[in-house]
Amino acid sequence: MAATFEERAPDARSDARDLLEPTGRRPRRAWTRYRLWETATPYLFVAPVLVVVGVFVYWPLIYSIYLSFFDWNFVAPVKEFVGFDNCLRLADDPRFHRALWGTLIYILALVPAQVLLPLGLALLLWPIRRSRAQAVYRATLFSPTVISFSVAALLWLWIFNPLQGILNKALFDFGFAKVNWLSNPNTAIWCVIVVSIWKTIGFNLLLYLAALEAVPNDYIEAASLDGATDWQLFRLIRFPLITPTFFFVLVTTIISVNDEVFGAINVMTDGGPFDRSSNIVYYLYEQGFRMFQIGSASAVSLLIFAGTAILTWVQFRFVERHVHYG
Amino acid sequence: MSRRRFLRGAGAAAGSAALTGIAGLPLAREASAADKPVEIVFMHVWGTPPGEKAASVQHPVAMLIDAFNAKNTGVTVRGDTPSGDYFTTLSKAQAQIAAGKPPALVSTPWSNINFAVQGLGVLPLEKLAGNELQQVLANYKPEVLPLVTLNKQTVGLPLAFSCPVMYYNNDIIKQAGVDPAQLFKDWGSFKTLGPKVRAVTGNPILGLGNNADWEAQSIIQCNGGRVLDDNARPAWDSPEAIAAMAMMADLNKAGLYLQSTTKESNAAFIGGSLAIWMASIASLGGLSKQVKFDLKTSPFPVFAGKPRKMSSGGSFLGCYARDKDQQRGAWEFLKFVASKEGTDIWMKTGYLNSTKYEVPLLPGQDAAYTQLKDGLTRESPWPGSRGAEIQKVWGTFVSRIWAGDIGAEEGCKQAKQQVQPLLPKT
Repeated sequence: MAATFEERAPDARSDARDLLEPTGRRPRRAWTRYRLWETATPYLFVAPVLVVVGVFVYWPLIYSIYLSFFDWNFVAPVKEFVGFDNCLRLADDPRFHRALWGTLIYILALVPAQVLLPLGLALLLWPIRRSRAQAVYRATLFSPTVISFSVAALLWLWIFNPLQGILNKALFDFGFAKVNWLSNPNTAIWCVIVVSIWKTIGFNLLLYLAALEAVPNDYIEAASLDGATDWQLFRLIRFPLITPTFFFVLVTTIISVNDEVFGAINVMTDGGPFDRSSNIVYYLYEQGFRMFQIGSASAVSLLIFAGTAILTWVQFRFVERHVHYG
Repeated sequence: MSRRRFLRGAGAAAGSAALTGIAGLPLAREASAADKPVEIVFMHVWGTPPGEKAASVQHPVAMLIDAFNAKNTGVTVRGDTPSGDYFTTLSKAQAQIAAGKPPALVSTPWSNINFAVQGLGVLPLEKLAGNELQQVLANYKPEVLPLVTLNKQTVGLPLAFSCPVMYYNNDIIKQAGVDPAQLFKDWGSFKTLGPKVRAVTGNPILGLGNNADWEAQSIIQCNGGRVLDDNARPAWDSPEAIAAMAMMADLNKAGLYLQSTTKESNAAFIGGSLAIWMASIASLGGLSKQVKFDLKTSPFPVFAGKPRKMSSGGSFLGCYARDKDQQRGAWEFLKFVASKEGTDIWMKTGYLNSTKYEVPLLPGQDAAYTQLKDGLTRESPWPGSRGAEIQKVWGTFVSRIWAGDIGAEEGCKQAKQQVQPLLPKT
């Protein structure tokens, strides 16, 4: 068995004693070297990770801040300094306003759907956990998560096709009018939302099932003996005990929801019709990679960063207090 | 420098001097550079993007590359398709240029010609080819060359030369008992006869296959209007342009125009649910292999009493290489593309023949040639560094007008207002 820190500590101290002269006085240089080594060792261990994170996370972030002050396309020899113009221009851009509105709709629709729907499904599947049927349901619900968006979108494009899609054919057979699902400004965003839910629900479902598995059965049995109803078992025992997972799902969903819909928007609607299914991430992509406006895209990326940071802080500040870490 | 490297260099120099004479030394160096094998990247939109299933039939661009590589000229061309979309491909090229590893050649959309010159630093062919250029350009039709000329410089080779045409499902048109020549005669007759075609399928009959702004340019021009004026300022709020836009909105109101994404209308047309699809002639090669009905093409309808004045489209081959060897390789390939052999292969796509070589027409290409004969204009060269944004704003308004989301006059005026901050300062 590996020694604990407490067990190893005396040895570490004896190493330090070895540095003492017979008089008991520590030579100044050796002591300094020892202190330096002691201080530097942990940093040396984390240095490789720090370098990677620095190069791939913090440097791009800092560089984005820098780029947001310029009108530049990455290639032109001269970067034109425009100060806060890139940010100010956003305030007057109707496309940006529509993207912001879309972002809000995606958050309001998808966060509850991606947090609560998998929880409900997990609770439905929980009673049949010993059955093979649960494995089938789990695999069925999880499989969309591993399919690439380009493949999934082909399927959904076929379903939503206004003239020969299966959805319109079914509606027509039941006497309803055909709908241009992806070209109607009122329905396109909801099609993206449906596809996004279908694509991501399985992952959160697995997290909830794992969390429910970890709830000690003793509590459930004791409460059942005391006559607790199913709802009481959930509300007073299961849910409090799975709140760490619930909180994790909530935080990660809010952070990632706008990234996740990007694939569906890009493949199915291109942000249309009339930018009505766009969101802030798709707007950033268009500015940077279709309009070649790197400065403007950098300004948007900073807004996304700030918005996400604030939302995450709010959750940790106001929601985490209700989490029971056991 | 190590002693060994010095001795090797000195030996080579002495050998060269002995063989060519001191005066011939620079020539010897040039010759050795020219013989050096080089691999160049040709970034284009006609291959299989990452993550997508490869087409069952090899695209002519792949045949073009293979045919060139088989010649073993010392230049190897590698095709790269980061996306099937021009803008994404151009942005990938932009990233690679920024990273110092530019693709030697990129299929650059005509509409981005200004951005290619001002933003990406495309190399004019005059600098790339020197004296050989005129000999190569002599193979091209004179009406095509102005499309690749900006500020008196040839910015690329006119490769993918197209224009929008009307593809139609002749089985449906026959079933409707409509004469195609009458249907596509002018927009008035299209609106009159359209309901008969609609009665066959019960669906709208006309779908859009490309960016709405491209087709809109042709429709506006055919009514005597313009999208951009001579100074590249918006001119889409003229009475002629507004009337042309209103005509499309009327088609939608009459249930003849299908509001859909281009992917949807493409699938519906191939599937036989949509009777007419307005799209680039470049789709002809692929479409004719995909459909199971009698596929025909027609020139765009005109406005009664007005001449047809369609917009060209597609892309030119721009050279973005900064390295001399890469530039040499790019020019070798461009010469092959411009040759008779290269043209024969390329013309299997369905694109218009921009060269003077006699190449047999594909069935259905005659519609595009009729339009070419009537005169094709340059695709709107969106001005300034924010040109792509101007195109996006205008394209969105075109879609809104056609879908009846906003009136034609109001839409054209709002679009003009919205692009004002994006226009370059004069």
